[in-house]
Amino acid sequence: MKSSRKAVAIVAVGVFSAGLLSACTSDAADDGKVKITVASLIPGTEQAAFDAFDARVAEFEKANPDIDVQPVEYEWKATTFTAQLAGGTLPDVFRIPLTDGRTLIANGQLADITSQVEALPYYDKFNPSVLETAQDDDGNIYGIPREAYAIGLHYNRQLFEDAGLDPDSPPTTWDEVREDAKAIAEKTGQAGYMQMTQNNTGGWQTTAATVSRGGRMEEGTGDDVTVTLDNDATKESLEFLKELRWSDDSMGANFLYDWGTLNQAFAAGQIGMYTSGSDIFTSLTRENNLDPAIYGLTAIPISDSPDAAILGGGTLNVVSAKATDEQKDAAVKWIDFYDVSKLVDEEAAVADARILADQDQAVGTPALPIFDQATLDQSREWIAEFVNVPQAQVSYFAEGNAGRTIVGEPTAKTQELYAALDTVVQAVLTDQNADIDELLAKANSDVQALVDAG
Amino acid sequence: MSTLERPAASGIQTRRSPASWVRRGGLSTLLFMLPLLVIFGVFSWKPIVEAVVMSLQKTNLVTPATFVGLENYIKVFSDPQLGQAVANTLYFAVLALIFGYPVPLVVAVLMSEVKRMRGLYSALAYLPVVVPPVVAVLLWKVFYNADATGPFNTVLSWVGIAPQPWLQSAATAMPSLVLEATWAGAGGTIIIYLAALTSVNPDLYDAAEIDGANIWKKVRHVTLPQLRSVLLVTFILQIIGTAQVFLEPFLFTNGGPANSTSTVLLLIYRYAFQNSLGGNYGAATALSVLLAVFLAAFSLVYFRLTRSWSTE
Amino acid sequence: MSRRIRITPPRPERLGPGQKKRGPDAAERGIISRSDWRRPSIRRSTRAIHATLLVLLVVAGLGPLLWLLKASITPTQDTLRTPMALFPNGVDWQNLATAWTTIHIDVQFANTVIVAAGAWAVQLIVATTGGFALSVLRPRYGGVVYALVLATLFVPAVVLLVPLYLTILHPPLIGTSLLNTFWAVWLPAGASAFNVVLVKRFFDNLPREIFEAARVDGAGSLRLFWSVVLPMSRPILGVVSVFAIIAAWKDYLWPMLVLTVPAIQPLSVRLPALQQTIELDVYLAALAISTVIPIALFVVFQRFFLRSAGLGGAIKG
Repeated sequence: MKSSRKAVAIVAVGVFSAGLLSACTSDAADDGKVKITVASLIPGTEQAAFDAFDARVAEFEKANPDIDVQPVEYEWKATTFTAQLAGGTLPDVFRIPLTDGRTLIANGQLADITSQVEALPYYDKFNPSVLETAQDDDGNIYGIPREAYAIGLHYNRQLFEDAGLDPDSPPTTWDEVREDAKAIAEKTGQAGYMQMTQNNTGGWQTTAATVSRGGRMEEGTGDDVTVTLDNDATKESLEFLKELRWSDDSMGANFLYDWGTLNQAFAAGQIGMYTSGSDIFTSLTRENNLDPAIYGLTAIPISDSPDAAILGGGTLNVVSAKATDEQKDAAVKWIDFYDVSKLVDEEAAVADARILADQDQAVGTPALPIFDQATLDQSREWIAEFVNVPQAQVSYFAEGNAGRTIVGEPTAKTQELYAALDTVVQAVLTDQNADIDELLAKANSDVQALVDAG
Repeated sequence: MSTLERPAASGIQTRRSPASWVRRGGLSTLLFMLPLLVIFGVFSWKPIVEAVVMSLQKTNLVTPATFVGLENYIKVFSDPQLGQAVANTLYFAVLALIFGYPVPLVVAVLMSEVKRMRGLYSALAYLPVVVPPVVAVLLWKVFYNADATGPFNTVLSWVGIAPQPWLQSAATAMPSLVLEATWAGAGGTIIIYLAALTSVNPDLYDAAEIDGANIWKKVRHVTLPQLRSVLLVTFILQIIGTAQVFLEPFLFTNGGPANSTSTVLLLIYRYAFQNSLGGNYGAATALSVLLAVFLAAFSLVYFRLTRSWSTE
Repeated sequence: MSRRIRITPPRPERLGPGQKKRGPDAAERGIISRSDWRRPSIRRSTRAIHATLLVLLVVAGLGPLLWLLKASITPTQDTLRTPMALFPNGVDWQNLATAWTTIHIDVQFANTVIVAAGAWAVQLIVATTGGFALSVLRPRYGGVVYALVLATLFVPAVVLLVPLYLTILHPPLIGTSLLNTFWAVWLPAGASAFNVVLVKRFFDNLPREIFEAARVDGAGSLRLFWSVVLPMSRPILGVVSVFAIIAAWKDYLWPMLVLTVPAIQPLSVRLPALQQTIELDVYLAALAISTVIPIALFVVFQRFFLRSAGLGGAIKG
C-alpha cells in the first residue's frame, strides 16, 4: 500500500542521512597550528573587557604564529564546574582556586606540566607555599599560580566621613571596628559592618576572622585531620558579630549575603565595612559600578595572639588532562604571556597595563606576591603611569600586613566545613538566643564525621 | 477491508513476515510511534531506570561507577541535614495547605455568585499565575527587604506594625515563602474550583431549598459534596507539589537562615550540584528515589482512604 | 490516485427552547436562589462582599505588578528610601532602555522565545504522532507503550534530574554533550505524559466512521493523520500549546542546569544571576520587561487561558 512504501522510503532516507552526518563529524583537516582554547572572562562582563582580552590574544598570536588561541568565556562556579569537566566543555587552559588544586590533581583531571614550568626563566622565584598548592606529593607541577590575595578590610570612605570618622585612619583593631561600625549605623542609618553568610562564603569569612584571632579550623594533614572549628578564636569572632548585631544594632536588617551580593550592597553605599579578598576592586568597579573615590582598603585587624595571621587564597592556571603534549607547550606559553610575564618582564607589564587602561579596566588592584614582595613592587613601578586604582586609599593594606604570616585555607572537606559554618553564622545573626557553643560543637562533630568518612 | 480493526478469527491466514508486516502498515505505525518512543525512551524511561541504578552506585563522572549497594541510602539517612529538610518540607506543606487550600475555595464560592463582570474577577485572580515564577520570587524578595524602608515594612508602618524581619529570621522565613507561593498559585486553584462550581446541577439547590435550607446549609450540603472529587484531587496534587518545592527556598534564602528553609529538593540539589569537586550523585538519586517512593505510597494510601468518600 | 478528502466536522448541538444550558457562562442559578436574590438584605450583603472581594483581588492580584511597573521607572534611591511613594523625584525611563540594550535583556528575551517555540514544537510532534499511533493505528504493543507512558505520571520530576543531566552530558549515539545547546531543553520537554494522555483521549473521542471513510477512499496513515485527524484536533492542540508554552516560559531549574552561558540563557535563568551585578532600578526594569509578554498574552487570550486552566482541572479530576 502507498503508506507502507512511503514508510520504507522515509526509513531509507533517515538511515542514509544519519550515515552522512556521522561521516561529516570526523575531524577537520589540520592547518599545522596548535589549537588551544583558553578561559577568558566571566560571561556577562562588559564588552570593553572582552576587547582588551582579544587584543592580548592578537599580540600573542603574532609572537607565536604556530599557535591558535580561542578564548572561551569562563566562570568558576561550583554548580557547573564538574559538569563542564565531565562534559568536556572546559577550555584547555582554565583557572581554579588554590584550594581545589590537590583534589583535581588526585582525580587525574589536570595535566602534568612539570617540564614546561621548570623551563620557565623565573621558575626558581616562585613563592614555594603558593606553588605547592599546584603540586602533588611527588613534587610534579600541575598548575601555575596566577594571583594571590589575602583577606582585607574594605570600607566606604564616604560613610566614614558622613559618620564623622577619618577615612585616612581606618580601624586597626577589632574593638575599633566595633566602635566605627556603631558610629556609622547611628549617624547614617546604613549597616556599619557586615559579613558574608551564604553559599559557603560565610564559612570562608568566619575562617578569616578566626585566623586573625589566632585560631585554626583544622589540624593535621593527609588522612589524619582533626576539625577544630569550635576553637576559642572562632567563638570570639562569633561573639563579636553577636555584639554588633544585637547589642549595638550596627549591622542593619538584612543578613543573607554572599560574595557577589555583599559587593553589590557595598558599592551601592549600604555597607560601612566588610572583609573579603584584597583583589575585589576589579570586580567592584567592573560589575557593581563602584565609584573609586569612596573605596578604602586596609589590613584586617589581628589580635595579639602569636598565631594570629591573615587568610590567603589565590588562583591557579591549569591545563586540562586531555591536552596533547603540543597543546601543553602552547598552554604554558600562553599562561606565561598573559598572566605571569607582566609580573617579571617590564615590556609585558607595560603592554598589558596599557591595553587595560585604554579600556578603562582596573590597573593596580592590591595583590599578594606569587614570587616575592620585591618582584611585585617592581612590577607595580613599571606600570605606575597606568595605575588607576587610587593607591593612597589602599596603601593601608600593604602597610598593615607587613610582617604578618599568611595562612592557607583549610584543606580537608573545605566546602562542607564552610557550609556548616554558614549555618552557624546565619543563626548568630538572626536568632538572638543562638547558643554559640552548642552550634559550634554540632558543626564540629558533623564536619569531623565527613572528614573521617573520607 | 479496513486495516484498523483486525477480525478476531480471520478465514485467511496472513503469512507473518517482515514484508507483510510492512505491507499491513506496521512500519508506518512504528514511524508514527517513533518520536514518542525516542523522546520518552531517552529522556524519561532511561533516566528513571538510571536513577534507581545510580542510587546504588558511587559515581563522580570521571572514574567508572562502582556498585556500593545501600551505602548511599545509609548516608542519606545519617545526614544530619535530612531531618531538618524533611521537617521544613512538611512545615511548608502544612502552611501551604492552611493558607492555600481553603482560601481559593472561599474565593471561588464567592466568585461563583458574581453576576456581572465575572471575567474581571477571574482575570485578576489568575494574573499572579501568569507571572513567571522566577520573576514573582525575585519581586517578592525586594518586597521582603527587612529594612524599615522595605516595601512591605513601609506598608506595615502605615497601620502601626513594627518592621518584620521577613526572610532574615528563622521564625518568619518559611511563612514568608508560603505567603508568596500562595499568592502565585491560588489563582489556578480558584479557576479550577470555579469551573467545578458552575457545573453543579442547579436542581440540587432547588431541592435543598424545598427542604428549607439557607445559604450556609446549601453550601455545606450541596456545594461541598458536589465538589468532593475536585477537592480531593487538588489536595493530593498540592501535597505532591509542595513536597517538591525548590524555587522559593532556593531563590529567596538558599535554605537559610540557618537551614530553616532547606527542603528535600534543595538537599538533593546540593548533593548533586553544589560541590565543585564532584557532586554526590549517588546520594542525590537515592534521596530522589526515597521521595518518589514516599509520594507514591502516600498517594496510594490516600486514594484508598478517600475512595469511599468521593462521589462515584 | 489521490482524491481530496473532505471532512465536515460535526456541528455543535443546538439546544431546543426551554432546555437549560450548562456551563460557566449561563448558569441559571448558583447557591443563591432567585427568591433569595429578591430579598434586599441578601442583595446588599452579597454586593458588599463582592465589592470587598474585588478590591482585595485588585490589591493582591494587580497591586504587586503595578508596583513593579512603577518601580521600573523609578531611580534606585527612591525605591530604596520611599518604596511606596509615587515618583518623588521624577521618572527614569532610562532604566528600561538600559535593561534592554546595555544589560542585553533582549538576548535573553529572544532565548526565552526560542526555548518556548522549540519545546512547543517537540511537545506537539510527540503528543500528536504518539497519540495518533496509540489511538487510531492501535498497534499490538500500543497497550504496553501507553502503560509505560502513564507510569511516568507517577514519577516526580526530581527523580529524573540527575540522570537526565548526565544523559545531556553524554547523549546516546551523538558524540558531543548537549550542554549549552537549546536541544538540552527542547528534547526532554517532549516527554510529557500529560500531553500524550490529553491528545490520545481526544483522538479516542473522534468518530471512527470518518476514519473508515477515509481508509475506504484510499488514505494511508500519513494522509489520515495530516488531512483528517489534525484538522479536527484544533481544540486539543490549542490546549496542549498553551500548557507547553507556559511551562517553557516558567521553567527554571532545568534550564539553569543545562544553559550556563548568558548568551543562551532564557530570562528565568538570567534574572537571578543579574541581581548581583546591576543596580536595583535597572534590575526591576528587567523584571518588568520579563512579565510583559506573558501578561500581554494573557490579557489578549484571557478566555482561552481560563478555559484551559479549568479544563486541566477537569482532566485531573
